Amino acid sequence: MTDFFNTYGNLMVLMVFNAMLGLSLYLPLMAGQLSLASPGFYALGGYIGAVFSTKVFQSSDGAFPVSYVLLEMLVGGLASGVLAIVVGIPALRLRGIYLALATIAFVEILRVLSLNLTITGGAIGIFGIPQPFNRPLKYLYIAGPLLLFSMFFMYRLERIRAGRALTAIREDELAAGAMGINPTYYKVLAFTLGAILAGMVGALSAHFLNTWNARQGTFDASITYLTFALIGGSRTFVGPVVGAMLLTALPELLRFLGGIDQLPQSVRDLFLNGRLIIFGLLIVLGTIFFPQGIITPRLWERRRRTKAVRPAESNL
Amino acid sequence: MTTEPVPILELHGITVNYGGIRAIENIDLVVNTGEVVTLIGANGAGKSTTLRAISRLVNPLSGKIIYAGKDITRARTDEVVKWGIAQSPEGRRVLARQSVLDNLRLGAYTRSDRAEIERDLQQQFALFPRLAERRHQQAGTLSGGEQQMLAIARAVMSRPRLLLLDEPSLGLAPLIVIEIFSIIRNLHAAGVTILLVEQNARLALQNADRGYVLEAGAITFSGPADQLLGDERVKQAYLG
Ligand SMILES: Nc1ncnc2c1ncn2[C@@H]1O[C@H](COP(=O)(O)OP(=O)(O)OP(=O)(O)O)[C@@H](O)[C@H]1O
Ligand SMILES: [Mg+2]
Repeated sequence: MTDFFNTYGNLMVLMVFNAMLGLSLYLPLMAGQLSLASPGFYALGGYIGAVFSTKVFQSSDGAFPVSYVLLEMLVGGLASGVLAIVVGIPALRLRGIYLALATIAFVEILRVLSLNLTITGGAIGIFGIPQPFNRPLKYLYIAGPLLLFSMFFMYRLERIRAGRALTAIREDELAAGAMGINPTYYKVLAFTLGAILAGMVGALSAHFLNTWNARQGTFDASITYLTFALIGGSRTFVGPVVGAMLLTALPELLRFLGGIDQLPQSVRDLFLNGRLIIFGLLIVLGTIFFPQGIITPRLWERRRRTKAVRPAESNL
Repeated sequence: MTTEPVPILELHGITVNYGGIRAIENIDLVVNTGEVVTLIGANGAGKSTTLRAISRLVNPLSGKIIYAGKDITRARTDEVVKWGIAQSPEGRRVLARQSVLDNLRLGAYTRSDRAEIERDLQQQFALFPRLAERRHQQAGTLSGGEQQMLAIARAVMSRPRLLLLDEPSLGLAPLIVIEIFSIIRNLHAAGVTILLVEQNARLALQNADRGYVLEAGAITFSGPADQLLGDERVKQAYLG
């Protein structure tokens, strides 16, 4: 068992991080807003963690205090939240694909900034970020409760007034407005909550990865998080969490399958080297056979409340 | 016993543009407390735009909107809903994926008096038995007539003093239209002031106290409903 945790400790932490990043993309999606800005806030949080722990806090030898890490996460979350409000108010006037493009540009601007600033270490980034734990798995002491808390928060959010407002905006913004829901307020709120979560994960991730640079917040990551929601499902918060965990574990699973001697060499090669092919295939098959993602509210709602055939539903 | 009419809504010289294109120009319109007023006109005349300006879903370029003595020209939609103006929008716009019950609850979004909301819910179900039977059904699967009832009931859930109805008869079978209009009369009898937009001019005028005729963004005729019903020009253009 300890062996298992030593081998897969890294993976488990990454799965939990990614689940939260999936949630961060899902939050604005609850209001129908396709924002790809999460990697930007993740990167910002990471730089805050990296700069604080290498340049501001001078810890003596030994383990870096966990309380400092928590403080960095708080600052990373707050800074991301403030930035999200400033960026979100103008950006969320845009709709659909234009919002997606604007948020990609936002991620790109932050990336270019971090490449050119001294405080972020330019192209090299920041190295030697101190470790609060002696084993990767122990990062779950912080990440685990944070994920549980986020999931509980999302569970509640989907059931209270604000959650119903978000869903109404997603379905029909004009109708929601006519009912007295203020769409701008809720869109900015959801966007900001998502940013806070990404910023906090970033600060923790900087310690976990030991190094932080401009490759942490890229367009690729935007697409990855989007895939979490698309494959997992974007009708309930459980979707992106499950999607993130599955897709993060998939490369490891493929590595494992590729190591089975009994399989023909060509199949093993595909598992070992054809990761991207399999990823692409899964996304294509997933969208055909699970157009709403793997997890839909129907799984547990069954036909308890809502009778009759549902009208055709799309993924977003 | 004629009492002095008390205006609940006044539009003074309202002009709305979409982009550079003028939709309505210099609209003057008054609705008195307790009245049913109808706004009729052809496609694209600017009827919905007028309602959207009142609900604050579009910003007027110029002019003034006074509601219950208060200038609401620059107010937010959620504010005017809270103050008592509800709209049942054109095309019904029910939330298709949500149940009838959830749609109605969202209608009461700006209210916080839970017990009263529950009471109003029961009242809507008494008023609309078809909705009561289908309270757990997804709104998107309702028939057109049922969706229209839901749209009206949802607007009523905010407890409006002034109800804006945008083409409630649109695309409905004649029998259902009669049912919808009897609902409108009931609401009026219950004390709600109504501004009714319709293309079915005859039915609208038959059920209204006064009427306004909108043509290409401007008001061309107005007056008591029976007078408009008898007017030769109105007859020719709108009553076929
Ligand atoms: N969102 C919009 N953007 C641009 N132009 C618009 C918009 N909404 C309405 N218009 C234009 O404004 C004018 C008035 O439209 P409006 O919807 O108010 O008409 P209407 O009287 O309600 O018509 P109908 O009976 O067909 O519903 C039309 O010329 C329409 O093309
Ligand atoms: Mg219209």
